[in-house]
Amino acid sequence: MEGHQRNLYLYERFNARVLGVSRDDIVTLKYFAKSLDLTFPLISNVTAFLGVSMDVQPEGRPIFGRRTVIIDKKGVIRYVRDGSPDYKDILLFLKKLSQEDRSDPAKGGKP
Amino acid sequence: MKRKTLTILSLILVVTWVMGCATMNPPQKVPYRLSPQGTVIWEDEFEFLPPSPDWKLLRVEVGENDINFGFMKSDPGPFPSLTTFAYDEEPFGCATRFEQREKEFFKRFLFNAILQFQILERKNIRVVGGEGVAVTVEGKDPVKKEKVRAKVVFGKRGERIIGFYITQWRPMDGTYDLSAFEIFDQFVNSFKFLKKSFYESL
Repeated sequence: MEGHQRNLYLYERFNARVLGVSRDDIVTLKYFAKSLDLTFPLISNVTAFLGVSMDVQPEGRPIFGRRTVIIDKKGVIRYVRDGSPDYKDILLFLKKLSQEDRSDPAKGGKP
Repeated sequence: MKRKTLTILSLILVVTWVMGCATMNPPQKVPYRLSPQGTVIWEDEFEFLPPSPDWKLLRVEVGENDINFGFMKSDPGPFPSLTTFAYDEEPFGCATRFEQREKEFFKRFLFNAILQFQILERKNIRVVGGEGVAVTVEGKDPVKKEKVRAKVVFGKRGERIIGFYITQWRPMDGTYDLSAFEIFDQFVNSFKFLKKSFYESL
């Protein structure tokens, strides 16, 4: 999470936003965010439907698995990685998506 | 209005996590070589003056908050007489201003040891060709009767803050070996970046 916070200025450059999703309650997340000085949104999903939709809810366990998902502006999942985030890999992927977006003729870019 | 909001958020990165359960990656073999001048060239990225051979090279790890590399030496005397120093590409915290980063860093530095820290010295310095801050602290654990003297140097690489630190542990009645801090200073003063970082070249 701290790695995402350090990279916020780069996410901004690539027109990306980061959201954290956890099954912890709001109060716990507030303490968690404060302890790491996080400024991006953390979503409390106690009922776990987001985890189920992202396939990170192990059956019978009260926690999500660790997964990084990148969704493009059309709502298409473009990147899924499990485990600790590979921040450099994420940044390179976001850069690629940003370049794709800039070259989209519908956006006035060159194909 | 909703559509406009969705348009602004052109890319969304969603992260799920299990609190406190960061997984460890396997150690990575890192190549380094000696220059004719006796300095170490590390991954063709850093150059520095190494300490004498009685300092052991610290294992290299990758991942969140891991040390890039460092050196350690067992000192004479009973446990925990040990000195370690390291370069850290991503020291604890996120801020890009020294004052704020220092606060963030010391919230977690040697956190597991549960020490009472006292700042002995704080000064602005020049490091890796730019401005930096050096903070010397001492931490004591009256229960385990142990103490540690540490010096943390914050510098900049591009927009991001990097760190160097040395920790020297002693029993509460032990004496610090300040010559190790001079070796650390030589290491820091000799340290050069040989190329732009990944983040600078994005």
